[in-house]
Amino acid sequence: MLISIRDLHRVYQVGSEEVHALNSVDLDIDRNEYVAIMGPSGSGKSTLMNLLGCLDSPSRGSYKLKDLEIGKMTDDELARIRNQEIGFVFQTFNLLARADALHNVELPLVYAGVKHEERRKRAREALDLVGLSDRMKHKPNELSGGQRQRVAIARALVNKPSIILADEPTGNLDSTTGEEIMAAFERIWNQGNTVIVVTHEPDIAQHANRIVRMRDGKIESDVANTRRIAVAAARS
Amino acid sequence: MNLRESTGIALAALRANKLRSFLTLLGTIIGVASVIAVISFVEGMNRFVSEKLLNAGSNVFQVDKFGFITSNDAYLDALRRPDITIDDADALRLTLKHAQMVMAAADDRLRVHYRSKHVDGVNLRGRGPGYDVIDDLTIAEGRHLTDFDDRHRERVCVLGPEIADELFPGMDPIDKEVRIGDQTYRVVGVTKAKGRMLGQSQDRFAVIPVRSFLKFRDERASLTVSIKSADQASLPLALQEARNVLRGRRHLGPGRPDNFGITTADTWMEFYRTLTGGIFVVMIGVASIALVVGGIVIMNIMLVSVTERTREIGIRKALGARRRDILTQFLVEATTLSLTGGVIGIVLGVGLALLVGALSPLPAGVNVPAIVLGIMMSSMVGIFFGSYPAFRAAKLDPIEALRHE
Repeated sequence: MLISIRDLHRVYQVGSEEVHALNSVDLDIDRNEYVAIMGPSGSGKSTLMNLLGCLDSPSRGSYKLKDLEIGKMTDDELARIRNQEIGFVFQTFNLLARADALHNVELPLVYAGVKHEERRKRAREALDLVGLSDRMKHKPNELSGGQRQRVAIARALVNKPSIILADEPTGNLDSTTGEEIMAAFERIWNQGNTVIVVTHEPDIAQHANRIVRMRDGKIESDVANTRRIAVAAARS
Repeated sequence: MNLRESTGIALAALRANKLRSFLTLLGTIIGVASVIAVISFVEGMNRFVSEKLLNAGSNVFQVDKFGFITSNDAYLDALRRPDITIDDADALRLTLKHAQMVMAAADDRLRVHYRSKHVDGVNLRGRGPGYDVIDDLTIAEGRHLTDFDDRHRERVCVLGPEIADELFPGMDPIDKEVRIGDQTYRVVGVTKAKGRMLGQSQDRFAVIPVRSFLKFRDERASLTVSIKSADQASLPLALQEARNVLRGRRHLGPGRPDNFGITTADTWMEFYRTLTGGIFVVMIGVASIALVVGGIVIMNIMLVSVTERTREIGIRKALGARRRDILTQFLVEATTLSLTGGVIGIVLGVGLALLVGALSPLPAGVNVPAIVLGIMMSSMVGIFFGSYPAFRAAKLDPIEALRHE
């Protein structure tokens, strides 16, 4: 099992009140799954995403990623896990404005300690993969929204992580571009990657083959996306 | 971490807003520039002074009426002392076993005439034999004064080249008669030029035999006797001998203080060091105030930068930057800032030193240790004042930072 979550709690202290953002969550995700995590705002899906992405530590419970217990890790160990195992794709792209596409994609490799030549080579390959070979020297503000998100996807892929973790990846894009981006995730998944998409849009969630619904800090439902599987079956 | 990236970001930020950058770096610039300039001056002066002060050899000391006077009271006391006479000088010359040379000297300042021409403010030097060594004078034309000239109180003189040039343009000065005060002297020699020292020409003088000086110029002049010991080691012996001789001649019993003064090159060097020590202390004060102010401004700018770039820090952390990666990045940026100020300061300081060196007689040279010191100081400022902002950046929570607008 790639991800194994047991009785996971995340409690925030807001003034004198305790807010249970996650309240005893159990979740297993296997390699090469394509999971959508859905839920209204306040349902705990962002908190779950932060924990999955090792940006946050649980208050209680266990989160094992590749059999490593994340909850006990120090800040620097978490940084290393994020660097090696997680590829983030954000709603607002989160590219460095001053750096060109190539350099943005290189960044995880910088922190991985990869040498300059090798870094360049792998960043080019990743940009190739998302069809942006001709935009490497462009800065984010010289790229369209869809292109920016593809740079972000290339950045997520460049270090060959275990999980691609996307947070509302189409939230800032029009629907046509959104579909392009979802098609890119599809390809990535087809290449054997594990993709987790956090979204509140049912249309986006329909791309996944498993949908996890959250409500009030708990998992409300966790079902296979039969429609998606049927479509896939019909295509083949 | 990516050193080139961090320095690049810092330099780009500097270029993006030139006025702000200038104001940011002003403190560091002033601090470093003043250190470089002052060190260059003091160093130049040191070299100059030790060269000039010790040019007659460090094993020369002076005996005179006053010695090294540092207060008005001491001066008034010293005024009541007996004069140093030519007999004292002769006694010293005849009795000192450790002295290689004993030369009596008296000085005045007056006008020298030749026909219708005259030169004002000439340093008239009455000198005994050996003055060429003690005053470090070399003959360019004619001859030096001799023992004979002195013993016979001849009215002959050796001129400094500047006087010779002014009084005898295009003429041979040898054997011409010049009028000094109310006497005429025959020019027997002209010395080689020595140039300027601290803005004073060293070539505006006329030397006459000391006994002629006493006979024709000022009978009651108190002399300064320069004594050169055989070598450095025998200087204290010669000094003690000279004291004993003078005390004996003046019948000073044990316990009574000397009623004459002895000055060595060391006395002057010590005085000079006290002086430059004071300059150094003032400089360190000015520089440290400027550097602290400069450092605080840099800290402020870095705090602004951390706030402005919170989101960037979040992104970097999400992509795997550890605390020390972020810390290093901001430290490198702060150090790049302060080093830029340091380099500008060094250029300014060196430029100032060279400018003053060129426009004034104050010698000043480029001083490599000072430049190294300037670089070290400015990077220390960057590291010291950059660490608080860098630390704040490093411990930002990645989730909060990513959420930051």
